[in-house]
Amino acid sequence: MITAEGLVKRYGAKTAVNDISFTVRPGQVTGFLGPNGAGKSTTMRMIVGLDRPTSGSVSVNGKPYAAHRAPLHEVGALLDAKAVHTGRTAYNHLLAMAATHGIGASRVREVIELTGLESVARKRVGGFSLGMGQRLGIAAAMLGDPSTLILDEPVNGLDPEGVLWVRQFVRHLASEGRTIFLSSHLMSEMALTADHLIVLGRGEIIADAPVADIIAGGTRPRVLVRSPQASQLADLLAAPEIAVIRSEAGALEVTGLAASGIGDLAAQNGLAIHELTPLSASLEEAYMALTADAVEYRTEAVR
Amino acid sequence: MTTITPQQAHPAQRTRSTSLTFGGVLRSEWIKLRSLRSTTWSYLIVVAISLGMALIMSLSMASGMGGGLDVGAAPADQQAQFLLQASVFGVYFGQLVAGVLGVLVISGEYSTGMIRSTLTAVPKRLPALAAKAVVLFVATFVVGLVANLAAFGVSSAVFAGHGVSASLADPAVILPLLGGALYLALVSVFALGVGTMLRSSAGGIAAVLGLILLLPTVLAMIPAEWAQDLVPYLLSSAGMNMFTSTTAGPSGDALGVWVNLLIVLGWVAASVAGAATLLKRRDA
Repeated sequence: MITAEGLVKRYGAKTAVNDISFTVRPGQVTGFLGPNGAGKSTTMRMIVGLDRPTSGSVSVNGKPYAAHRAPLHEVGALLDAKAVHTGRTAYNHLLAMAATHGIGASRVREVIELTGLESVARKRVGGFSLGMGQRLGIAAAMLGDPSTLILDEPVNGLDPEGVLWVRQFVRHLASEGRTIFLSSHLMSEMALTADHLIVLGRGEIIADAPVADIIAGGTRPRVLVRSPQASQLADLLAAPEIAVIRSEAGALEVTGLAASGIGDLAAQNGLAIHELTPLSASLEEAYMALTADAVEYRTEAVR
Repeated sequence: MTTITPQQAHPAQRTRSTSLTFGGVLRSEWIKLRSLRSTTWSYLIVVAISLGMALIMSLSMASGMGGGLDVGAAPADQQAQFLLQASVFGVYFGQLVAGVLGVLVISGEYSTGMIRSTLTAVPKRLPALAAKAVVLFVATFVVGLVANLAAFGVSSAVFAGHGVSASLADPAVILPLLGGALYLALVSVFALGVGTMLRSSAGGIAAVLGLILLLPTVLAMIPAEWAQDLVPYLLSSAGMNMFTSTTAGPSGDALGVWVNLLIVLGWVAASVAGAATLLKRRDA
């Protein structure tokens, strides 16, 4: 359980995080989504006390992170896959981290096995690929068997098999009742992994809701209609709040009127309908709609 | 993938027997220190320099004695001085290596990002700095003492051919050897503080070596009395006088061993206090 209240972080004149409050609940995967530079990493660093908030506070399981007797048992954090000395072996890195809390070498071997690092554990971290670095970061986060897990861009640099592994892993941890807080700028990944989303843009919370609600709320419903009298139907549908796109011969994509309304209209006018399919919006569309005004660095569309 | 075991206790309620302790942080820092190659190399170089310098010094001193001067007949305390001078000569060079190692112990964490792992595990921060200082101090002291004792052995072997000898049981012999090791250990902790404040290997090493090597020379070149008066209060001057003033007699040093030790401790305290303040206050 993570609770942030009125969290603000300024670096000089630049405001990275502007007065955000949120709660990350146990038993589900909470996604932390936002464009680059939105303040996701800064927020996560403030949770574990690496950055000091300019104002506001954040607590984990009821206390500030640093006030816990055994912080690594409360929170496991993967904040930066390269937060490891490159000259040390993976095993020694984990052993040193574990030693602070009196965690033994047997647990170190467990997390190495858990993350599939057996073959490289005795190699120095400097030679690790980004993907192996991510696995080592996850292994370090799991050392204390924490009830809360904070993962900043965990699938970054992982191969498809690794991405799938992280997805199943965090879903399993959430099912055990743990609090999982996961950041990503990949909407597709979030749609598959998260139950709840907190969307951040320019340091402010744009949305804080279950994934399904965000998808439903972020876009207007679209319906695919197939009819032999498509052009007649299109004329009947013409209204200021309804948009009709002729995608192919005999097919219409209607935005602004539900499937039932289209069916009723066709029946009243004696038009045949061959297909009437509500198109579910993707999280990506919802996300783009939400963050359209909040993107820090926008690129011109390719012409 | 691990299989799901529903009968497992809820992780939030599971009780854990371990917690964050200073002893644990000490063990962690010891693992970190010994698991890097830079540590092994630095300490090997300290020992090698001590042995090499002791050999060169004692050989050249012994050959200088060849003509007429019968050192074998000199009083015991004078014999001990010859031996000690040769034995602790390596500390002058060893302090540079100890300084570099002290900076690297922390600046290596900043340059690689390891510091974020360290401070996540020890979020109160100051215990991590204290543990680093303790581990570095003890390890450098032990290595310095081994180096000095071995250097004494080399010098003794060379001087033995000229009938010069001294006993380790003599406080006038063992105390300067201990003092040399103590100085090396204190220099490494001083450098740890500088490295913590500057957070950069290059900057930290430049600052420490500049202070040890350049500052005495620069002050000596300033034609003003205040500059000359300051020289004995520099880290390296006070540090070297700390264990050579009793033996090297004619250095003309007015300050006693304890005053010199206090000056060195003052430098170390200032450095560590600055490091602690900044470490606690800054974002990591």
